[in-house]
Amino acid sequence: MSRPAAIVFDQASIAYGRVPALEQVHGTVRRGEIVALVGPNGAGKSTLIKALLGLVPVASGSITVLGQAPAQARRLVAYVPQADTLDPDFPISVAQVVLMGRYRRIGWLRPPGRADRDAAAEALAAVGLAHRAADRFGTLSGGQRQRVLLARAIAAQPEALLLDEPFNGVDAVSQEALLDTIKTLAAGGAAVVVSTHDLGLAQLTCDGICLLNRHQFGFGPPADVLTPDLLRAAYGGAALELGDRGLIVARS
Amino acid sequence: MIDILVTPFDRPYMTRALVEALLLGALCGAVGVYVLLRRLAFLTDAVTHTVFPGVVVGFLVSGRSGIVPGALVCAVAAAALFTAIAATRRVNEDATLAVLLTAFFAVGVILISRQHSYTADLTAFLFGHVLTIDTTDIVVTAAVTVLAGLVLLGLGKELLLRAFDPEWARATGYRITALDLVSNMLIALVVVASVQAVGTVLVIAMLVVPAAAARLLSERLGVIVAVAVLVGMVGAWLGLATSYEASVGHDLRLAAGATIVLVLVAFYALVTLGQATRRLVRR
Repeated sequence: MSRPAAIVFDQASIAYGRVPALEQVHGTVRRGEIVALVGPNGAGKSTLIKALLGLVPVASGSITVLGQAPAQARRLVAYVPQADTLDPDFPISVAQVVLMGRYRRIGWLRPPGRADRDAAAEALAAVGLAHRAADRFGTLSGGQRQRVLLARAIAAQPEALLLDEPFNGVDAVSQEALLDTIKTLAAGGAAVVVSTHDLGLAQLTCDGICLLNRHQFGFGPPADVLTPDLLRAAYGGAALELGDRGLIVARS
Repeated sequence: MIDILVTPFDRPYMTRALVEALLLGALCGAVGVYVLLRRLAFLTDAVTHTVFPGVVVGFLVSGRSGIVPGALVCAVAAAALFTAIAATRRVNEDATLAVLLTAFFAVGVILISRQHSYTADLTAFLFGHVLTIDTTDIVVTAAVTVLAGLVLLGLGKELLLRAFDPEWARATGYRITALDLVSNMLIALVVVASVQAVGTVLVIAMLVVPAAAARLLSERLGVIVAVAVLVGMVGAWLGLATSYEASVGHDLRLAAGATIVLVLVAFYALVTLGQATRRLVRR
């Protein structure tokens, strides 16, 4: 018996004004599944994540998140942005960043309570950074900052997790920690969508792949989607042919 | 030495000036930290200039008692306008603010230049006159200080999140524009409260300098707020005392508001110098 659907794309197209950004995305992410968004730079991976958060509107078709429109499901969804978009000089501690994951639950005008601090501490321990709680966020390495942002998302106890290029420029230790945590969360029943450049990583760790470049080239199990024909079609000039030995996909 | 810091304030007008300056030091210190975190110094500057014609019109309509209401109307309108400009994200925010602030400022100057006492009035509105503060001014400042305290305590975590990671705040369902409206209104109210004592030009220093100095001294937000409040208050006290001692004791006339600002800047310079020296010694 298959697990219940968490995110459903039904011929969804997304446009910025009149300029189409991404067309005809169609597929399902089930609870407990990890699905990778794969494609060259500018393919629309970040746009699709923004649409899942209800930050950009769906122009035609539909996207359903946990049975609701994306903007209505925000409380059940946690987002992990790229760590390098944040100001490293900001005077904020690691513990304060993780605690932000609890803010929606705490609500307006109330200070965080004991239960919130415990949940934040637990989330930070899950990514292996409990010992850095008191340090300023900006003093951590890029990979560690990415783990802190994952901890912030976990502290919200989400039913769906969206990650934007979490493995970019991340060291091996942090990548391992990120993967372990994401797998644990999926095993607990959360649906995970992660955009990545790393095809090898996507193939090894994900249950499904959504191959994009302006429109969808494939959505399904890695074995069905990561084929030379589909990759060649999606990556175009960025795909390097190795004669009959196969195909290499360059990063950009 | 202690005499210089205490004796001047025996006189009632100096006592009122001290109370007002201490309130403003605390208020600007605390709100200034948020201005610093959000990098809103330029927006604050725009608010101060936009308030100027309101001050002038208020004064022309009903004299001294019209200044605060006039400033309030302009400040609230400016805060709402600037929030709306930021929310559209289509226009170049910097350029728009620059155009608005100079336009409003010019309107203020033209209005006041039609008065006989042009120079004296202009100076008072731009640089304040803390020595003629009355009880009403103190009540206004105290009310804004209490309100700012409530806002910073009540919405502190949301404002922090908005300053640190606005994209994530939006993704979690917060209305950034609503939060920005609150903080812009707060900044506008601080400017209004400061108009009488330090004027529309010097208030920017009261907001930015203590917070910037505090940021140099600590990495912890709680400590930064506490230090900024303390620096703002001590700077206000020392500035007033210095200006009085120089004017009365040594016949060297120093404008009170400007002296407060210079004391704050001197403190900032000392901290910067101290840190540079420490870095050199460590090498």
